[in-house]
Amino acid sequence: MLKPEKMVKISVVGPREQLEYASEILYKVNLLHIEDPKEAEYFRIGEPLEKASLISRSLVQLRSYISYLKIDPSRIVPKRKYKSKEIEEVLSKKLEEYQEQIGRKIEEKRSIDERIRGLEEELRVIVPLKVLGIPSRLLMGYKNLRCFVGFVKENPVGELSKITNLFDAVVKEYDKELLVAIFVKAEYGDDFFRTLQAFGYRELHVPDVDDYDARIREIVREKEELLNRKKQLEKEIEEIKVKEAELLLTIEEYLSTELDKSELPLKALFSKYTFVIVGYVPAKQLDKFKNEVERNGKIVVEVIEDEEDNPPTKLSNPAVVRDYELLTTTYATPKYKEIDPTPIMAIFFTIFFGMMLGDMGYGLLILVLALYLKTIFKTEGWQKLLNIALYCGISSIIFGFIYGEFFGPFIIPGMKKPSEIHFLGDILAALYSFNHHHPLFDRVEEFGVKALLFIVLVIGMFKMLWGFALGFYNVYVEHGMKEAVYEKGCWFIGVLGLVMLILGFSYNLGIFTSPPEEGFGRLLPENLYVLGSYTVEDGRAVPLPIPGLVDGWQAGVNIFYLLALPLLIIWFVIFLKAEIPKMGIFGIIMAVELLTWFGQIISYARLLAIGLSSVYIAFVINYLSVKIGTPPGMALLPVAIILLLIGHAGNLLLGILDPGLQSLRLHYVEFFTKFFEGGGKEYSPFGRVKKFLED
Amino acid sequence: MVEALISDEAFIKGCAAIGAGLAVGLAGIGAGAGESGIGAAAVGAIAEDRGFLGLGLLFTVIPETIVIFGLVISFILMFAYG
Repeated sequence: MLKPEKMVKISVVGPREQLEYASEILYKVNLLHIEDPKEAEYFRIGEPLEKASLISRSLVQLRSYISYLKIDPSRIVPKRKYKSKEIEEVLSKKLEEYQEQIGRKIEEKRSIDERIRGLEEELRVIVPLKVLGIPSRLLMGYKNLRCFVGFVKENPVGELSKITNLFDAVVKEYDKELLVAIFVKAEYGDDFFRTLQAFGYRELHVPDVDDYDARIREIVREKEELLNRKKQLEKEIEEIKVKEAELLLTIEEYLSTELDKSELPLKALFSKYTFVIVGYVPAKQLDKFKNEVERNGKIVVEVIEDEEDNPPTKLSNPAVVRDYELLTTTYATPKYKEIDPTPIMAIFFTIFFGMMLGDMGYGLLILVLALYLKTIFKTEGWQKLLNIALYCGISSIIFGFIYGEFFGPFIIPGMKKPSEIHFLGDILAALYSFNHHHPLFDRVEEFGVKALLFIVLVIGMFKMLWGFALGFYNVYVEHGMKEAVYEKGCWFIGVLGLVMLILGFSYNLGIFTSPPEEGFGRLLPENLYVLGSYTVEDGRAVPLPIPGLVDGWQAGVNIFYLLALPLLIIWFVIFLKAEIPKMGIFGIIMAVELLTWFGQIISYARLLAIGLSSVYIAFVINYLSVKIGTPPGMALLPVAIILLLIGHAGNLLLGILDPGLQSLRLHYVEFFTKFFEGGGKEYSPFGRVKKFLED
Repeated sequence: MVEALISDEAFIKGCAAIGAGLAVGLAGIGAGAGESGIGAAAVGAIAEDRGFLGLGLLFTVIPETIVIFGLVISFILMFAYG
C-alpha cells in the first residue's frame, strides 16, 4: 500500500536458437515487463519469427469476421476452456471453414448490395424516361442530330430559340424539376449545351430499353429476389454467429498469443549467437521467474544494478482499495518512486461522498442500483466503478443516519411538526426517540451549519498539510532534502502558519470555548491570551488583531496567533531563498500563492454546501407533496405520489453526480496537486490473461 | 413615512439577506462563465485523447471554487446579521 510494487531489472540471455523456447516460457509465466531495446554496436533488434506473417494474416481475417458479426468478447462467458493443443489441431480446418461459410456469405451479401444499388440507380433513370414517354431508341443513335435528355430547373425553350428555331423540345414536370428532351441539329449542339448548363442541366444516361414498363417490372422482381436471398444469408450468418462465437473468439485469442510470441524478437537484441531481453519483474516473484525460465539450463536470468533505471508501475493494493485505482489512474499513473494515493483516496472519497449526500434513502437506492447494475455490466471497468458506487452508498447510509435524513430531513428550523415536513415524519421522529426525537447531528439548523462548516475546514486544513507532507517525501526521494525543503517544506510551513491564523480567529470567535450555538463547548481554556489584559468579563476579544487597525488589538492576540507569526516568517525566509535565485527579485510576487492555499482550504466548504442544497431540494419535494397529498391540503394523493417520485429521482441523479464529481475534485485539485505528478508507465508483462484458453 | 415603518434592525437584516443572495448568485454566474470556456476546450481535448479525461475534469471544475467563496460569504452574512 501507498507504494507501487518493488521491481527488479533483469536480463534474460540465451543462445539464438533458444529464442522460440524463451518466448513460450516467458509468455507462460506472464511476469516480465520488457523494456524497449536500444541497438548498440554488436546488438541489433531482431525480426519476427517466420510464422508471424502467416499468423497475422489469419488474425486480420478472423478479426474482420468477428467485427462483421459484431461479437462482443466482454459479453460472452465461455462455457468451457479450450486447450491450446485442441485449437492447434482444428485451426487450419476451422479457418478454411470460416472462409467458406462466413467469408463467402459476407462476399455474396456484399455483391447483392452492389447489385441492388445498381438496380435502384437504373430505376432512377427509367422512371423519368417513362414519364417523358419517348422510347429509348428515339433518344439516341442519331448522326446529324444532338439529343439532350435530362433535368433542368426552369424551362429553357425561350432562351434556346434565341440560338435557332430549328429544334424540337419535349418538356415534362417531374418531382419539382423539369424533364426535357431536346433535339437539335448537331452544329448547334455545343451552343445548346452551354445554354442548358445555365439552367442547371443534369443529363440522364439513356439505357437501351424498349419497353419501360416491362423493364421496371423486371427490376422490381429482381430486387425482391435479391432482398429475399439477402435476408436468408443474414439469417444463416446469424446462425453461425450463435453457434461459432465462442470458438471464433478462442481461435482469435490463440492466434493473438501466437502472434505476440512470434513478435518477441522485435523486443530483443541479438548478437551473432545470442539474444538479450531486458525488462522488469516484481521483486517478490523474481525467484519463481528465475526458476521457471532457467529450467532447461540454456537460458540465464541476471539481475542488473542500474542507476538510471525507469521501472514500470504496478499498483499493489488490497482488494477493496483496488477498485479505487480506477479514479487514481484517470488522473495519472503514479511514477515508480512516487507515493500511490489510492488508499487515501479510497477512504476520503467515500467519506466525502457520504458527508455530502448523507441520506439513508438515497444511499439505499444507490446500493440497490449498484448491485443490480453489477449483474448487467460485467467488464472490469464497470465492476470497479459500481463497487465504488456500492461503498459510497453504504457511506451515505451511515451519514444519513447521523444527519437523520431519509429522502430528506424530518426537522427544519422554524417548523414544528415532522409530519408536515416529511411524508414519514412521525415514523422518523419516533425512530430517533433515543435522542429526544432529534438527529444525532442536525446539519440543517444554524448550529449544525456552523459546526459542519468548521469541521470541513479542519478537514481541509488537515488534508492540505498532508498533501504537502507527501509532496515533501516524493521530492525528497527523487531530488534530495534541499529541493524538498525548498519546494514543499516551505509551503508546508506557510500553510501551517495559515492554519494557526484560522484557528486563532476561530478561538477568538469562541468556537473552542463557548457552549453550543456559539461554539463546541469548553474544549480549550478561556485565557490563552498573551498580550494585554484580556479577561472573560471584557467580552469577546478582537477576532483579527491587526496593530493600528483596531483599538485594543492586544486583547485579541492569542497563543495561535503567536505561533503563526514565527511560522510565517520561517516560510517567507525559505521561500525567498528558494525563489530569488530562480526568478530574481520579482520572485517575491510569487508569495501570493499562499492565498491560493487559503482559497483551497475554504474550497472544502463544498462538503457542506453541496449537501445542504440537496437537503433543501428534498425538503421542498416532501413539503409540497405532503401539502398536496393530505388534508387539509388539496388531498390529491396520486399527484403527490407522482411529484414525490419524479422529484426524488431527479434529486437522486443530482445527488450521485454532484457529490461524486465534487469529491473527485477535492482530491484531484486540492490534494493531488500537492504531491502527485504521475506519468509512470503501467506494468504490462509479456503474456496475457487468457479467457478462453487454458494451459 | 416608510422609514418609520421599518426598524433599523429589520433594514439591516434585509440588506444582509439581499447581500447573501447576491454573493451566491453573482459568484455562480462568474463561475459558469469561467467554466464554459474551459469545459468546451476540455471536451475538445478529450475527443482527441481519452487519457485527458482526468486532467480535463480537473481544469473544468477549478472555477467552481468561486461559488463556494460566495456561499461562505453568504453564510457569514447570515450568521452575523440573519
